[in-house]
Amino acid sequence: MSLIELHDLCKTYNTAAVPVRAVRNVSLQIEKQEFTAIVGPSGSGKTTLLNLIGGLDKPTGGSIFVEGKDIATLKANDLIDFRLHHIGFVFQAYNLIPVFTAKENVEFIMLLQGVSKAKREQRALELLESVGLGDRVNSFPTQLSGGQQQRVAVARALASRPSFVLADEPTANLDSHTAGALLDMMAQLNREFEMTFIFSTHDPRVIKRAHRVVTLEDGAVKSDIRQNEAAEGTE
Amino acid sequence: MILSLAWKNIWRNKKRSLIIIVATALGLWGSLLSGAIWMGWGESMVDTAISRDLAHIQIHKPGYAQNKEIINYIPDGFQILKETQNLPGIAAVSGRTLVEGMAASPTSTFGVKIVGIVPAQAKTVTDIYKRLIEGEYFPDGGGRNPVVIGRKLADRLGLKLHSKIVLSFQDLDGSLNYAAGKIVGIYKTESSLFDQSNVFMRQADLFRLLNTKPLIHEIAIRAESARIMPQVYAAVKANYPQLAVHSWKELAPEVAYTSAAMEAFTYIFIGIILFALLFGITNTMLMAVIERFRELGVLIAVGMKKGRVFTMILLETILLSITGGVAGIVIGAISIVYLAHAGIDLTALASGMETFGASTVLRPFLPLDMYIALPIMIVITASLSAVLPAWKVIHIQPSEAIRTY
Ligand SMILES: Nc1ncnc2c1ncn2[C@@H]1O[C@H](COP(=O)(O)OP(=O)(O)O)[C@@H](O)[C@H]1O
Ligand SMILES: [Mg+2]
Repeated sequence: MSLIELHDLCKTYNTAAVPVRAVRNVSLQIEKQEFTAIVGPSGSGKTTLLNLIGGLDKPTGGSIFVEGKDIATLKANDLIDFRLHHIGFVFQAYNLIPVFTAKENVEFIMLLQGVSKAKREQRALELLESVGLGDRVNSFPTQLSGGQQQRVAVARALASRPSFVLADEPTANLDSHTAGALLDMMAQLNREFEMTFIFSTHDPRVIKRAHRVVTLEDGAVKSDIRQNEAAEGTE
Repeated sequence: MILSLAWKNIWRNKKRSLIIIVATALGLWGSLLSGAIWMGWGESMVDTAISRDLAHIQIHKPGYAQNKEIINYIPDGFQILKETQNLPGIAAVSGRTLVEGMAASPTSTFGVKIVGIVPAQAKTVTDIYKRLIEGEYFPDGGGRNPVVIGRKLADRLGLKLHSKIVLSFQDLDGSLNYAAGKIVGIYKTESSLFDQSNVFMRQADLFRLLNTKPLIHEIAIRAESARIMPQVYAAVKANYPQLAVHSWKELAPEVAYTSAAMEAFTYIFIGIILFALLFGITNTMLMAVIERFRELGVLIAVGMKKGRVFTMILLETILLSITGGVAGIVIGAISIVYLAHAGIDLTALASGMETFGASTVLRPFLPLDMYIALPIMIVITASLSAVLPAWKVIHIQPSEAIRTY
């Protein structure tokens, strides 16, 4: 059983004018510990696909199995709980809680999980250390650069000990140097913690760091290529 | 942490939150203070009426209220007076001999109620003796038939201190008696109506003039406190089923009603203020929620159940309102305590107020249960205000809220 299995997945937006087939008949299997990029031009359906895998949207056809569970069948509150315990999210716009410090942002997810105060704090500090922000734990998001905020977001995504991390265009708001550094860090976490990452991008320099590249075109899979890890760290 | 998040969220838009907090504080302060003034006025009417003549409880012979003839005295009145004196919860009792009659001066005549009292006893129940503006309250050696009358009556009859006053009344046989008294004291209460119609004499003098054995028509009872008055009233009533026992509320329903109305006004006024605040708070929270649509969407996306987000918005609203509410209650309480201590002098309005029987120095007062009821009312208002904003939150679609096209 693969970590994630998509069977003939479809998502059609019924807009007023014409129905938009944002994802068409996508069948994919993603294994544990993969470091996968979903690529394709703007409007090709990357966000829609990640939202479906992340349980933020319901498919209009096909099925999504995560660790053998058909998440399309979950009730609203169970789905939220499923996301809390199984999926880490990183967003393009970082989306940290502005009134919380870096540490509190990471802790908050564990609070939702009901982790004790002492364990939360310890893990938050460890994670911020591993994303290279050990010295900025008490900074507020506005006091951090974009790259630093996205590192906090990655630490937050890992905090819940998820099965995999979904990152929709995590580098889109970053300059290419910072983007490369963030990807290197994610690759390192992928190795160290055996964490599965699925991220979308259209930045060629990010794409070359991926181990597997799934290319979308008009909502359908155009190619699915595994590449070696030699590209890493060549910025 | 959710509580701390809610609290921190309030201060994200300091100006907007402060406006609501200040509005809540001022609204409550205003309504508390005006409520306290009304209730202080009501309370003052009650207090003055009780200590002027009503006392807490009165005993009569049944039917006396309809037919105030001298013959309708309380059977065994003095025995009952002695008994009630020793009942638990009773601070003091006073027996009164009441005779309807006329007071005359060389120039005019007025209908009055002649009240025969034992001065030392009457002092323990009512405070006319404190209200003398001229002369003394039945001094030793006050001469033959000393009389204490009200200022209003003295003015109307054109009489002064030490003047002679002629009283006429029917005795037990129904024959008309005339007696000359000497004005030894002139009192003035808040009620000019009372002052013009009540003439006080010593019981002993009255019995001699009436040529009768000692008899009383009214027993006035003062309970140890207003709080235990209802129990004392019930006990007295049970003890003397053959007599008419009335509380001050029954004797002066208009006073009791006014006092209750003041309390009701206060609650209505506070209710109106809170109702107005409801809209302000709803609007503020709605703006706060709409501004944070994406952020709330993210919280739901990463695993915060909508019920918890709802709770957070509710907490924010309650914290916001309670902050303003507590501030309002604190400044309200401080100003009420200060004004109750200093008193509000209403001498400028005095002539008008006196007719209503309230004291001219007003002491605002707010019952303790109001301080408990208010925070509860605020929390209810806040919860109602949170409904619409929280409803918006429940309907957030995380994928829509997060989307960056
Ligand atoms: N909520 C929506 N309603 C209608 N059409 C949508 C909606 N979201 C996305 N689309 C359309 O679906 C297609 C795929 O969009 P998206 O998944 O955002 O692509 P990408 O992330 O690759 O840019 C686009 O044509 C987009 O306009
Ligand atoms: Mg996109």
